[in-house]
Amino acid sequence: MLSGEKAFLQIDQVLMTRNVGIVGMPPREVMFRLKGEGAEIYDLDALHVKPDLEITASYIPRVYCAILRTVLTNAKKMSLDAIYIDVGEGKCSGALYIAEILKGELNIPIIRTRNEDKIRFGNPICESDLPLLEKMNLITQSVLDTETLKGDLLRCEPVAGFWGVPPRDFSILSLFPPRTHIFGWTRCMENKTPADAALEQVVNPDVPTVFFAQSFCQKTALAYYLARRHPCGLYVDADVYMGYSTKAKVQAFLELNGAIN
Amino acid sequence: MILGDFGTSYTKLWDIEKEPVPRIVRSMDISCGLRTNLATGHNGARFGERYVNELTALARGAKRLIEEDDFVILDCGSRDLKFVRFSGDKVRDTGWNAECGASLGFTIELLERYYDLDYRQMSVPSTHLSVTCGVLGLSHIFDAIIQGARPEEAVASFIKGIALNAYRFAGSPPKLYLSGGLSENPIFVESMPCEVVVLGRFVLLEGLRYIASI
Repeated sequence: MLSGEKAFLQIDQVLMTRNVGIVGMPPREVMFRLKGEGAEIYDLDALHVKPDLEITASYIPRVYCAILRTVLTNAKKMSLDAIYIDVGEGKCSGALYIAEILKGELNIPIIRTRNEDKIRFGNPICESDLPLLEKMNLITQSVLDTETLKGDLLRCEPVAGFWGVPPRDFSILSLFPPRTHIFGWTRCMENKTPADAALEQVVNPDVPTVFFAQSFCQKTALAYYLARRHPCGLYVDADVYMGYSTKAKVQAFLELNGAIN
Repeated sequence: MILGDFGTSYTKLWDIEKEPVPRIVRSMDISCGLRTNLATGHNGARFGERYVNELTALARGAKRLIEEDDFVILDCGSRDLKFVRFSGDKVRDTGWNAECGASLGFTIELLERYYDLDYRQMSVPSTHLSVTCGVLGLSHIFDAIIQGARPEEAVASFIKGIALNAYRFAGSPPKLYLSGGLSENPIFVESMPCEVVVLGRFVLLEGLRYIASI
């Protein structure tokens, strides 16, 4: 297993890299180096190619985390020169196994990293008054940056909370009011400390909060546990797409608790 | 003001200014041109000027009918299960089981006709089939009959299995308020391992009536 520093040393092996995929949040130092080399960086957790999750059935079960299935689909279909995959506490144990599969199936360097960055960059986006979808887009795009977002963001008093990872299907986000604060791993993403377990468990007990996790992800345990202990929490998990009943649950929960009209 | 709860098998309509109680029609007999002021249910968005989320309608209706701060209401319809749990007068949990609870009510009605049964004349069995879904549960019934069970025994065991599954889905509360078409099935209701209060089929319409009044 490589630490962030060891992974950094391996970059010498791929100095000519042009198209680089990342999974999770590799250490900031690695990202800094890649950007310095002028590499094109693609976040493989996000959709880059036409969704065809069936392609993954040759390697992993169909009942598996939709984000990691998306990673495999992207990796198989895109023309990449290397992949940096974070497999530490800042990502998940599933990524560890996906890294092994990528190594076996692709003829490119698969570099495992462990992001243990401690420098906190704060959460201006998570606590801003932007619509939740916009906030989530900004945070997921920020994974490619080594600095935080520049610009004026107004902090708002929250009326609702969204806890969790960026979902594979963002359609659920438009159900939330703009004054929704973001918690959970997405908050760690913006803060650039993805392995910060304490920050991941921060919640606001005063606002109704939806605790979201991808189905079949280990984070369902934490989401479920925190939702049960929150004074007004709803646990939700979803696989590839948000079903009608999932959206209806979230909408009713927010409406009946006064977060939306 | 016309309210409509457009379920998969049955539609409940209520002109609250002209009719003292709602009426029930088969959903397949509904005219495409029908329009209501407020609508909920599986097909509601097609017929209503304004659509209300089914869980919202269920919760609002339950609050009108139940004079408690802490309770669980479970709606068992043709196609799915829905529950809302209130605690301290706030919604603490909701669930909508449209996949694993698929077609429970529909399957039970189908079985009654197919085997020419009368659920009012049948008793609650001591055992139950382990089922979570109406469609998948059918094979358990056929297996039980092949092994010698009478159809009414196998179907009753199936219904009891569904009731226990629905009870667990709602969080296994000590007391359960039931609504929806299945709340009129005596085997289903009596199979519940807790205190049960049956509210009938118009709870969602009560919710719409409340929403129309605000």
